[in-house]
Amino acid sequence: MKKKKVDEVPKLRPLKLPDHQVRKLPNGMTVHLVPRGPLPLVAVRLVMRAGSAFDPLDRLGVGDFAARLFRRGAAGMSADQISDTVDFVGASVGGFANEENVIMSLSTPSKHFEPMFELMAKVLLEPDFPENELELARRRTLAGLTNDLDDPGSLADRALVRATWGTHPYAHETIGGKKDITAMTRDDLKKFHRERLGPSIAHLYIVGAFDLDEVMKTVERTLGGWKGGPTEGPIVPSWEGLARPGEVLIVDKPEQTQVQMRIGGHGVRRGHPDHFPLVTMNTVLGGGFTSRLVTEIRVKRGLSYGAGSSFDMMSVAGTFTVSSFTRTESINQLIDVSLAEVKKMKERGPKKEELATVQRYISGLYPARLETNEAVSGAIADVVHYGLTDEWISEYRERIAAVTVKQATEAAGKHLFGGERNIVLVGNAEALRSKVEQYGPVTVLKPSELE
Amino acid sequence: MRTTRSKKTTPTLPPALKAIANSVIEATLPNGMQVRLLPSDAVPTCSYYTFFRVGARNERPGITGISHLFEHMMFNGAKKYGPGQFDRVLESNGGSSNAYTSNDVTVYYEDFMSEALEKVIDLESDRMRSLQVTPKMLESERQVVMEERRLRVDNEIGGLMDEELSSLIWKAHPYRWPVIGWMKDIENIKREDCLEYFRTYYAPNNATLYVSGDFDPKQAMALIKKYYKGIKPGPALPLVHDAEPEQKGERRAEVRHPAQAPSLMIAWRGPNGTDPDTLVLDVLQYALSVGQSSRLTRSLVFDQELAVGVSVDWTWRFDPGSFTVVLELKPDGDPKKAEAALYAELAKVAQHGLEPRELEKAKNNLAAHLLRELATNNGRAHALGTYELMLGDWRHGLALPIQYETITGEQVRAAAAKYLAPERRSVVTLVPLSEVAS
Repeated sequence: MKKKKVDEVPKLRPLKLPDHQVRKLPNGMTVHLVPRGPLPLVAVRLVMRAGSAFDPLDRLGVGDFAARLFRRGAAGMSADQISDTVDFVGASVGGFANEENVIMSLSTPSKHFEPMFELMAKVLLEPDFPENELELARRRTLAGLTNDLDDPGSLADRALVRATWGTHPYAHETIGGKKDITAMTRDDLKKFHRERLGPSIAHLYIVGAFDLDEVMKTVERTLGGWKGGPTEGPIVPSWEGLARPGEVLIVDKPEQTQVQMRIGGHGVRRGHPDHFPLVTMNTVLGGGFTSRLVTEIRVKRGLSYGAGSSFDMMSVAGTFTVSSFTRTESINQLIDVSLAEVKKMKERGPKKEELATVQRYISGLYPARLETNEAVSGAIADVVHYGLTDEWISEYRERIAAVTVKQATEAAGKHLFGGERNIVLVGNAEALRSKVEQYGPVTVLKPSELE
Repeated sequence: MRTTRSKKTTPTLPPALKAIANSVIEATLPNGMQVRLLPSDAVPTCSYYTFFRVGARNERPGITGISHLFEHMMFNGAKKYGPGQFDRVLESNGGSSNAYTSNDVTVYYEDFMSEALEKVIDLESDRMRSLQVTPKMLESERQVVMEERRLRVDNEIGGLMDEELSSLIWKAHPYRWPVIGWMKDIENIKREDCLEYFRTYYAPNNATLYVSGDFDPKQAMALIKKYYKGIKPGPALPLVHDAEPEQKGERRAEVRHPAQAPSLMIAWRGPNGTDPDTLVLDVLQYALSVGQSSRLTRSLVFDQELAVGVSVDWTWRFDPGSFTVVLELKPDGDPKKAEAALYAELAKVAQHGLEPRELEKAKNNLAAHLLRELATNNGRAHALGTYELMLGDWRHGLALPIQYETITGEQVRAAAAKYLAPERRSVVTLVPLSEVAS
């Protein structure tokens, strides 16, 4: 008798984690040091809890705008001088905001670490915000906001943020809107810099090929004297729920022969106890190339080139989104298949074999997410920012592997949307409206309303 | 069969690059397949790249897009692993895959946990040996590719302009059609075309394999030999004739499409990838557009504010390629002014060359870029493989910083004067139709 061959599961090799040291400066700044080779490169990331969620309502985007301007004039150096100094050695320096943080980053060849770090510190501590640079940035940002309206994918994402978060601070566009950018003054930027940034809320991550003692001396010399700013990071308020549940939003682009689709609903905050069951379950639903959504939408029906689902998780709340696109005439098929797949997963969960496949998939590839200095600094920064522990990284693969079908099914039932969801479409509204009224009340927007 | 550990490295390589060079193990299988192993135990994963020397360049009118459509078909089943199995088996072994097609090459890769190496060799050799192209899978994949074309070209302004630009630069060479192909051709490619394509171009003697990551090289080489052994070499490849006539003057075209702002794509015909001038143009590209202090960014974006963004693309190709500048304008921007200002900046370089500091800055950035490319298993396999296909040997890729060091300001000046001449350029202007008018 032929014995059924058991598919052998390869065992996980241990993950060699680089040594992570933490020092606290007297001014309150926390320094995380991760020396690792072999390439002579260093990545620096400075994270401050001052992201767009905390921007005042009449100056949305102020943090991102200010952070981008830091390097356009600081400590008496002009923008050209700073750029030339950084570019000359093949380094890069920049600042930007996301929903919760303002982040400065530096990437440099190891041999230029000291002068580059000194420059980054100057740019952070003493930005001049020259008037001419402010005006220039204002004109460029406004032009960029308008030009973005040509990209159907980013229009869809922008419309979804509105339909989802409504008046919650996570609805704040990180770069602000036309009205905010037009009104931005030099005083707004200086106020932001003075009041919302400071060493007590700053975490500095340095990862790469460097000498630990030398680097600490440089950090203490340049940032040890940094003072002021908030003593505690601000808190994001809790979320009441979808701003426009059940509605259908169409952003009208009459020339489009293709429709971008997003279906959005509730997710979970980062670090939620259901994290690992949810991530595993979602990979079955809409993760890799063999997910149910890709199989049903792309492989079986040829409706689209791409399809997927994802959880976006932040400190206090998160979202779950199904994304895809198709030719205008197939939009009903695309929406129906997407909703049916989510419903099926919500009611019955993943199959045992499906779960086993994605567990190996996620675990097998996890170490590749920690290959570059930038990736390591990002992963550790997330652990710190979301109040997790180092085991989040070192035991990630084991925690994924431990998820059971029962846990994944329960998590799907609890968190995937049922009736509570909204639909965003970007395409030809005239052709779409009658087709999609069956999914809920339809509102049509012009792209310029999202500027 | 020959297996050698690389010893021919240039002694002047910096230590980090030298260590990579010394780690490379090379072999040529009896069926002609080139194998390169790059062991490194930094993380317990591997990357597996298969490069085929075939792309849109090897197509003909009527079957444009077949290289790319074929790339999709490579995931739709072979003899041992049937339809849908490739990614399913790979993912269940802790891996993922992707592929891309360019004008010159088609490239497949997998990232996976080290333990799955034999399975990946099995999967890849299976489809090289015995790919199945069933009518059903071909029809379904054709629809997917048509949707991809709608995404990347028909509904994407950059895609529309790029397509217009290529057919302006090249009159006779296959670089004139888009890699994704013309819609009608995608609709009409036959199964027989695909089968012939596979027999001709997907033979082991047209393939180069790169494996990087945490594995035992002896064991890996033995497995590769075992699995690829039975695959027979293919016929000599049909030559691609470069029948491109000399360009006699500037060429211009307009794309009228709903858009918020005008923009420009301007291309000059350059040399091929192995021409010595190619490296000089690399330096020029970096000096013009990499970093906020680069020439064009500083002048057109910050000083004159004629553009909101500038990028320069200089992609090495088997046959003479194009040096392309893209100018993104403001909604009320004036394309004529922006174009004139660009030519004025380029004329300065053609006349006076670069400042010594600018030259050194470009070289430093090229060297730093190479290091960053080599930071991951995937990046190392991709970079060295690409260098081998383009330059004939991966060693030339690692030695690039040394090559760049020898380039003089005068060489850059002369290259700018020679290649960025008005009679060599093609210009595509996007003329926006307003939201209401559309």
